[in-house]
Amino acid sequence: MSLLTADGVTKRFAGITAVDDVHIALEEGERVGLIGPNGAGKTTLFNCLLGLLRPEAGSVSFDGQNITRLSVYRRARLGIGRTFQRVELFSGSSVRDHLLFALRIRSGTGALWKDVIGLGLPKPSEIERCDALLDSLGLGGMGDEPIEALSLGQSRLVEVARALMTQPRVVLLDEPSSGLDRAETTALAETLARIQSEQGFGLLLVEHDVELVASFTERTYVLDFGRLITSGATSEVMRDPEVRAAYLGDSVAGAQ
Amino acid sequence: MTASVLAAGVLEDTIRAFFQGLPIGAGFALVAMSFVLTYKTSGVFNLAFGAQAFISAATYFELHVRRDWPIWSAVLVAVVLVAPVLGLLLERLIFRHVHASSAVAKLVISLGLLVALPELFKLIVDYNREQPFGAVGIIPDGATVYRLFGRYPVTRDEIAAFVIVVAAALALAALFRYTRLGLRIRAVVQSPRMTELNGVNADWVSSGSWMLSSFFAGLAGVLLVPTTSSLGTVLEPTGYFPIVISALAAAALGRLVSLPAALFGGLLLGVVTTQMRTHVPRDNVILAELQGPALPYVMLFAIIVFWPAIRRQVAGADPLLGVSPPPPALAATSRSRGMTIYTRIMALAFFTAVGIWTFGYANNFWISRITHSVIFSIIFLSIVVFTGLGGQIALCQVTFAAIGAFGAMQFAQRWDISVIVGMLAGAAIAAAVGAVLSIPVMRLGGIWLAIATLAFALFFHDVLVKYSWVGGSLFHGRGVPRPEFLGVDFSSRENFLILCIAVLVLVGVLVILIRESSTGMALRALRGSEIAAESIGVISWRSRVVVFSVSAGIAAIGGGLLAMEERLVGYEANFDPQTGLFWLVIVVVLGARTVEGGVQAGVAFVIFPELVLHRWLGLDGAWRYVLFGFAAISFARHPEGLLEHGKRRSQAMMQRMFTRRQPAMAAAGPPATTAADEGDEP
Repeated sequence: MSLLTADGVTKRFAGITAVDDVHIALEEGERVGLIGPNGAGKTTLFNCLLGLLRPEAGSVSFDGQNITRLSVYRRARLGIGRTFQRVELFSGSSVRDHLLFALRIRSGTGALWKDVIGLGLPKPSEIERCDALLDSLGLGGMGDEPIEALSLGQSRLVEVARALMTQPRVVLLDEPSSGLDRAETTALAETLARIQSEQGFGLLLVEHDVELVASFTERTYVLDFGRLITSGATSEVMRDPEVRAAYLGDSVAGAQ
Repeated sequence: MTASVLAAGVLEDTIRAFFQGLPIGAGFALVAMSFVLTYKTSGVFNLAFGAQAFISAATYFELHVRRDWPIWSAVLVAVVLVAPVLGLLLERLIFRHVHASSAVAKLVISLGLLVALPELFKLIVDYNREQPFGAVGIIPDGATVYRLFGRYPVTRDEIAAFVIVVAAALALAALFRYTRLGLRIRAVVQSPRMTELNGVNADWVSSGSWMLSSFFAGLAGVLLVPTTSSLGTVLEPTGYFPIVISALAAAALGRLVSLPAALFGGLLLGVVTTQMRTHVPRDNVILAELQGPALPYVMLFAIIVFWPAIRRQVAGADPLLGVSPPPPALAATSRSRGMTIYTRIMALAFFTAVGIWTFGYANNFWISRITHSVIFSIIFLSIVVFTGLGGQIALCQVTFAAIGAFGAMQFAQRWDISVIVGMLAGAAIAAAVGAVLSIPVMRLGGIWLAIATLAFALFFHDVLVKYSWVGGSLFHGRGVPRPEFLGVDFSSRENFLILCIAVLVLVGVLVILIRESSTGMALRALRGSEIAAESIGVISWRSRVVVFSVSAGIAAIGGGLLAMEERLVGYEANFDPQTGLFWLVIVVVLGARTVEGGVQAGVAFVIFPELVLHRWLGLDGAWRYVLFGFAAISFARHPEGLLEHGKRRSQAMMQRMFTRRQPAMAAAGPPATTAADEGDEP
């Protein structure tokens, strides 16, 4: 039994089938890519996995439990973390606050009566945990910075850190390389790989950047026009002529 | 046989109600079109139209009734001169400069103007020198009744209102279709920036549309004089509230962007109103209310909550995040240690001095004023919770405060239960009402939430208060005793003040605890990004219900204390919805994000008009509405509040002063100079 599976997921928008009977599965501790050209249905599938969209057919399950009808926050509390393609941070809060929010909301139920008698305040040990994670992501010493002061690459790391503070078993990354240059992407990938191997969560990478997927993932699914056209070990998928034709374009496939 | 006679009767009633409804709807339509016009061209949801309509009507009243000008010249000055000039001034002096601010920031400014403009007008023309009774319509012998088709009665006023509105709508349509200004307005509505790139001055277009909409509001103001003042015949700004609310409902039908929808929405609502009055049976209390005062509010609330177009249009709009860059961190968080200690010592010294003066030297009047400001600080903390923490604007805190006051009163009067228990029960009821209210309005954000809560506040004001189980009966009066518990009698002024201070400290600590712990974190996350907050497991609906009910409960506690202090529920003086607008304005102007901000607003609300305006400057206390109303303009630039802004600036200045010396020393200048520098310092 895989940790996170999509079973025959289908999603239509006003007659257009954005995702058509797609099956994917993710094991714990695995790094998996999901690629496809623009408009292939990657983001739609991603949103179905996260609960932002309800599929018309098929089911999503997590750790053996059918979660197709669960809300976004329920899935988050089960252990599905995510990042955003267009960075979504809590403006007006510091870097450390982002981690602290996630940690506290995950660990406490946040009952009002606890807050009222002072049990809801962050403990020193929790602040230390946040700072430790910031350190290991290379953001040490930036805890007090306002979030607006960070570069895009750093912001993406904060998103990752925020997701990790909820102690997820799976993290879904939505195009982490968009807006970053090559060097920044490489740095981000290295940090991600290190943290992932340390903590052992499953990682689903929805990406555009083929090089990042090639260097980073063990298995890859390829979507085109809403359908899964192939899947398998990343190195083999990258050599698949159909993938090259659909995704990289014929000219690139022909040139090599 | 009888059935057909009955049916004919019903048909006749329906037709009669239809003809009576059209003129009423025409008034709604006129104001609704003004709303759409300014919202489309400048993004301002201008609640101040109520004030603008009042000013034109009051100018007309002043000139025609008090100074005996002929009707035509009074109307000419009030509608053709005063109204457009007022619109132009508002646009030129205020709204042009906040073009880039969020819709909510603009809404707050218009709330400020709604409070400030009528008061300013009254002060300038000395409007209250005698009671403004005896307003007459602009149509000579307006009450003359004609019979349409020989049987349906309509007054001359009604015919004139309908004809003028239809003519105005046609003229507006022609303006849009055939004139350059109309074309430009349409273009600016589509995309102000693209229009500017095409060489059109969008500012000029915006001025034009403001003059036009203000003219419409003024026209509605004078046309509706017979309607607004038919009962009390007192021409007051509050008379325009129900009309503005109905017009809002009409404008909401067209999502605030469609002029034809606003016109037809207004007419439709007018006809619905009279049809309800004709056909809904009166034997049921609730149905009877629905035909009368409750109808506009229920309609507005229902349209906002259920109209699909609005549900789709909802966008998260945090009033404190409207500007870019986002609001800076609180001054207190960036303060150095030394500064913090210094600030605390100064605060302690200040409070000790005030305390010694209050308990040792102050007379009864000042003790009562100080108690009032402590109580209003408590009430304003509910706004700190809702707007400062929750990041949204609600206009019904005044209602929750009234529920607390009435709770204390009802429990003490009916069951002879301790007034403290009554107040707490009132707070629990208010919290429950807040929780229930939050469910339908939760999905709305920004201006729609503000408007829906305003509709609720007005509904309470015009309908619920009249029930004896809410507002008490005339027979019993609204008396509230001072409490006595734990063996202490709090009926003396000093003891009661001590009790209020204790409650303020408790509530203040509560607010800080909530802000700093899980609930506050969830709220801050939601304000920052709802989708990201949910992705880390924040249960958004629960946080919203909590913030609504906590804020309602705090307001109710303050309301209960206020009733005990005054020994009665001064509903009309303290808990009028219009007063509630002023509460919101003064808190957000001074600083809604901190407990200190709420307390400062409480002090400013009570002490400032008494001490500064009245004693020192010898001005009328009404100037506070004008001052803080206009100060709402600052909200667009400093959404964190003026005091917070001032604190940060002075802090930055002091820190610059401190650090300027340090680099000089670090730069290893000649030791002698350094010593001399330090020697200069006393």
